[in-house]
Amino acid sequence: MSGSYASRLQKASGMPPFQINYMYTTTIKRAVLGACILFSGMAAVAQTADEIIDKHLTAIGGKDAWQKINSIKQEGNVQVQGADVAVSITVLHGKGSRQDIAVMGMSGYQILTPTAGWSYMPFQGQTKPEPVTADQLKESADSYDAHGALVNFKQKGHSVEYLGKEDIEGTETFKLRVTHKSGKTETIFVDPASYYIVRTITKQKANGQEMDVTTNLSNYKKLPEGIVVPMSIGLPFGELTITKVEVNPPVDEKVFKPENL
Amino acid sequence: MRLLLFSTALVAGITAAAQTKPSSATFGMLEARWLGPGTMSGRITAIDGSAQDGKTIYVGTAGGGIWKTTNAGASFKPIFDKYCQSIGALAIDQQNPKVIYAGTGESNMRNSVSIGNGLYKSTDGGENWTLLGLDSTEHIAKVVIDPANPNTIYVAAPGPLWHSSPHRGLYKSTDGGKTWEKSLFISADAGCADVSVDPKNPQTVYATTWEFRRTPYSFSSGGKGSGIYKSTDGGKTWKELNKGLPPKPFGRTALALAPSAPSNLLAIVENKETGLYISADGGETWKQQSATFNVTARPFYFSTLVVDPKDPKRVYRPAYSFAYSDDGGFSFAEASSEGGWVHSDHHALWIDPVNTNKLYLGTDGGVYLSLDRGVTWQFFGNLPVGQFYHVAVDNQQPYRIYGGLQDNGSWVAPSAFPGGVGNGNWTAIYGGDGFWTIPDPIDPKIAYAEYQGGNMARINLATLKSVTIKPTAGPGDEKLRWNWNTPIATGVANPRNLYAGAQYLFKSVDKGANWVRISPDLTTNDKRKQDQEASGGISADNTSAENHCTIFTIAESPLDEAMIWVGTDDGNLQVTKDGGKTWTNISKAVAAAGVPAQTWVSSIEPSRFDKNWVYATFDNHMYGDHKTYGAVSKDGGKTWTMWQSSEFAGFAHKIKEDLKNRDLLFMGTEMGLFATLDGGANWFRMKNKIPDYTLVRDIQIHPRTNDLVLGTHGRGVIVVDDISPMRELTPQILEKEVHIFATPALPINMGSLGAAGFPSTGGWNGGNPPNIQPLQYYLKDRLMSGDVKIDILDSTGKLVQTIPGGKRKGVNKVYWNLRMNPPKVAAGGTKIDASGFTAPMVLPGTYTMRLKVGEREYTQNLTLLHDDANPDFTPADRKAQYKTAMELYAMQEELARTVETINTRQAQLKALVAKEGDAKAKKALQGYHDELETLRSTLLATQQKSIFADEVRLRERITEVYTAVAGQEAAPSNLQVQSAAMLRKDVDKAAADLINIAKKHSAVAQRLSQPDTAPKPAVKTF
Repeated sequence: MSGSYASRLQKASGMPPFQINYMYTTTIKRAVLGACILFSGMAAVAQTADEIIDKHLTAIGGKDAWQKINSIKQEGNVQVQGADVAVSITVLHGKGSRQDIAVMGMSGYQILTPTAGWSYMPFQGQTKPEPVTADQLKESADSYDAHGALVNFKQKGHSVEYLGKEDIEGTETFKLRVTHKSGKTETIFVDPASYYIVRTITKQKANGQEMDVTTNLSNYKKLPEGIVVPMSIGLPFGELTITKVEVNPPVDEKVFKPENL
Repeated sequence: MRLLLFSTALVAGITAAAQTKPSSATFGMLEARWLGPGTMSGRITAIDGSAQDGKTIYVGTAGGGIWKTTNAGASFKPIFDKYCQSIGALAIDQQNPKVIYAGTGESNMRNSVSIGNGLYKSTDGGENWTLLGLDSTEHIAKVVIDPANPNTIYVAAPGPLWHSSPHRGLYKSTDGGKTWEKSLFISADAGCADVSVDPKNPQTVYATTWEFRRTPYSFSSGGKGSGIYKSTDGGKTWKELNKGLPPKPFGRTALALAPSAPSNLLAIVENKETGLYISADGGETWKQQSATFNVTARPFYFSTLVVDPKDPKRVYRPAYSFAYSDDGGFSFAEASSEGGWVHSDHHALWIDPVNTNKLYLGTDGGVYLSLDRGVTWQFFGNLPVGQFYHVAVDNQQPYRIYGGLQDNGSWVAPSAFPGGVGNGNWTAIYGGDGFWTIPDPIDPKIAYAEYQGGNMARINLATLKSVTIKPTAGPGDEKLRWNWNTPIATGVANPRNLYAGAQYLFKSVDKGANWVRISPDLTTNDKRKQDQEASGGISADNTSAENHCTIFTIAESPLDEAMIWVGTDDGNLQVTKDGGKTWTNISKAVAAAGVPAQTWVSSIEPSRFDKNWVYATFDNHMYGDHKTYGAVSKDGGKTWTMWQSSEFAGFAHKIKEDLKNRDLLFMGTEMGLFATLDGGANWFRMKNKIPDYTLVRDIQIHPRTNDLVLGTHGRGVIVVDDISPMRELTPQILEKEVHIFATPALPINMGSLGAAGFPSTGGWNGGNPPNIQPLQYYLKDRLMSGDVKIDILDSTGKLVQTIPGGKRKGVNKVYWNLRMNPPKVAAGGTKIDASGFTAPMVLPGTYTMRLKVGEREYTQNLTLLHDDANPDFTPADRKAQYKTAMELYAMQEELARTVETINTRQAQLKALVAKEGDAKAKKALQGYHDELETLRSTLLATQQKSIFADEVRLRERITEVYTAVAGQEAAPSNLQVQSAAMLRKDVDKAAADLINIAKKHSAVAQRLSQPDTAPKPAVKTF
């Protein structure tokens, strides 16, 4: 659905494909952070919110399984007009997260750690990584929470509020607002049948703007380690298909330092 | 269609004990586009903004919900789409601007005003809303938050317009809206029209009360219940103010206090002689100040009066036009038209309390901004909240959409346009209030349009010249009575027929040049309902809006031009079966089905499948009855069956039968769109990006595109592209886990529309239908585990493309661009190459769509045809294009392999150089590496740092020709063919160069792990 959207967009806009691609990768850059919520947790306050979160955590393998995760690596790709954009995501719990995006032998990345973050997107000629904004850095803590924000969310200082039911693409979902310790808010929509998250809408602040980033999650799969993760991540310009997940691989902290600074 | 059903799907079909009930979700991605436009917007009823940032502003509309901007108006988003769309009042808690109250049901009490269902509150800037109550007030004029204690809220509710009710008056809450008490109540006929709280002493509250009532045939503003009141104890007790005010009875009073000097009050008092009164002592005494035209204009409709937050002498009177005073209301000036025309009829004004030069004005035609205290104005063209009464379509390519709007005339626009249908695509063809706007079914140059009271014209669409065609009374006829919204209809069985209805039905067969009266008076002709000249109450108000005992709807049977149905506004449903010679009034049969006498017949739809089948809707809200009345007769009108559904809400405007499936019906009401798949037994609310409570006034289905076109009274035109999957969804199919819908043979093209250069700037863009035909399938349930993919295979079974598929419940759409995968292009350069995103179109033939849902597969054949509709691209052209495109495609892939070999070798050489201790050997390795680099730098851009510094090497040279040839619907030119031949030599030379370099460095080459041979050119024959 989304890949075709990109092609329609390209047709409609007459934009050269590389420009679409650029928009696309910058969107991934934002949305992957949103997707990382899977590996981060959320917080709840109201009784109903607690119940929903508990059921959700059980559905995705249970708190214990998630708490055993120290690092996680995912690889996948997005098809843009039939061309592959390779995406890989590396998270080392509490230390940092890194997303790499590769198109035609060119690669860019975004790195987020508790103390610094960089973005390098050379597809339109960026030659050096640039530090992320203070807002982004502050709100990106969940990107390197390998357990997901919802596991022990209260201890982490997040809160969750149940907002009632909402129709998402024909499914009456539970709507919850997660307010992160950083102040970032996101809305999650939980499928009442499976208790998996159907959609997240993250409010991202950057340079005085606030924008909603919508991420659709599906194709949940149980890994040998017991956790359940979405293998399809719907982004505004395409669907990221996860092809490989490694749980607790060794991660050298050096990857959280830009190599071409 | 071939369907490989695996056993599980069959089992699922059989074991379905609980029947799948169709709902909005069933239709999945059959989602609406909002065509707008924004060029003529709709009535704006309330505006409030955040004083903290001056750029977060909420706009309440008469029938389009609430729109929010966070950038002072550069863009707006609707934030109230799940609730009642008629907004009467908005109030932001300025201490915590995330808190907003929205009172539904506007209080500009014109004939066409909608009805609200209570007061809502949001605590998160409009993202989530809670209904607080007051749900029977129907109309809310103002919400005021006590600035000292934001948990104290006053709500002025004029209350129901069409009937007596205790649910009116001034309501007060002291707990943020949890509980309410009635602070001021006059009578079941007089509500509260305005309220102000003294910001310096919030125990002092002023309120005005208003007695008013409409019937379908009269309006009365004013009575003994109207007055001005003051409380000094927070609304516990009230005293009426009268010293210096004119003698009662009053009509509606607009009241304002000067926030910076709140003992200064102004009031426009509707009276025998309406005037502006001022008080400097908190309302204890008053004196008349002004009675200029704009101050006194239409007090029931123009009730806005605002004093500048800082300057007590600066007074604004937005009304028929925009007037302002610098001397406390003694004299008024009118806004300049220097910045362009400002739509008349003003109902809302927000002044930024920090920068009081900045004003936002709400009119009957949208929102305007002034930066000079109201002297000049700029329009916001990005609010698609037009109030259509009717909508029509023609058969042009792309088809055009016609419609008439409240206070905004009659318009035409194409349904598709390169770059999307924008404001500039809409053409105004007639003025006044617009209603029926209909294309001539035969002559594409001609349309019919009208303004209120039956003032109809034939319009030449090329020149926009019009000819008046309103019928006039003949000898012996009574004075003609024309409804506000006079019906005009063209024939369906015989498209030459044109009809118009007063109390008589008129017919023309020459485009309205000449008319024949073909009926007697078809109404009840009740003289008690015909005293419109006395209408208005204290002020005369007689604009044809109350005309009554008139024909309201006309429909010719699609199967028989002699069979014509007519419905009136006073309860008559009449039919002739002999072209008008004799008429039968079947209102008794309708009444027997449960429709109250006198109820308006709002629409009639004779079936296109059976002459004796007819559908109708009835609207009784003008007698205070909001029930949804829709019914069908299957015996020519003798007996009627009323539809019942717990889903229904809102009085009914329109019933539409599908053009192909007689069991598929759509009904539009004041509170949404409803559909049935079983001829009316079960109804459900259609959402799918149609705002839940949209006021759906009219519905059309396009015979060629199968688009559902809605005329809404507050959200402009809404289109659901191609509803044909809805026709296929039988109960059997609904029970299937997966169903692939039939795909018509697809002409291969790049879409029907080209690109349009720059994206649209500003305004509203309603987008386009999909440029390519989607592949569509149904999923019974949302898929949370397992993937959905669509493989396209050619006739030999070779994979052409894989597309991710939707997983939502209901209809999913996937767009295959009718192309193969793009070539692999040389990697490792410094820029993205467009060839990597460009694939040639496939050739005509039979293809297979293989839908993979989890572990199961379903297939369907796809037939792809050459597009004969494009004379500029012949089958021979297509062949030539394909040949050249594929040659260039192969070159890119070969070049990619050459470069990949270079990249691999260079990486190895680099590693060897790093490890090598011997200087001579190191130099030899480096020499090989460097020579490869020299070659590489001729093959693709390796230096370019910016899109503004173009570096063109072999890859880019191929791309220039390849993307041009593959990206157009044309044969390649002679020079493009010649370029391809030249490039072929260069690609071959690159491979040869690589071999030669390797030979030259054969000693070093032996140290590399890869076999040191040049890449084999791919074998491709065409």
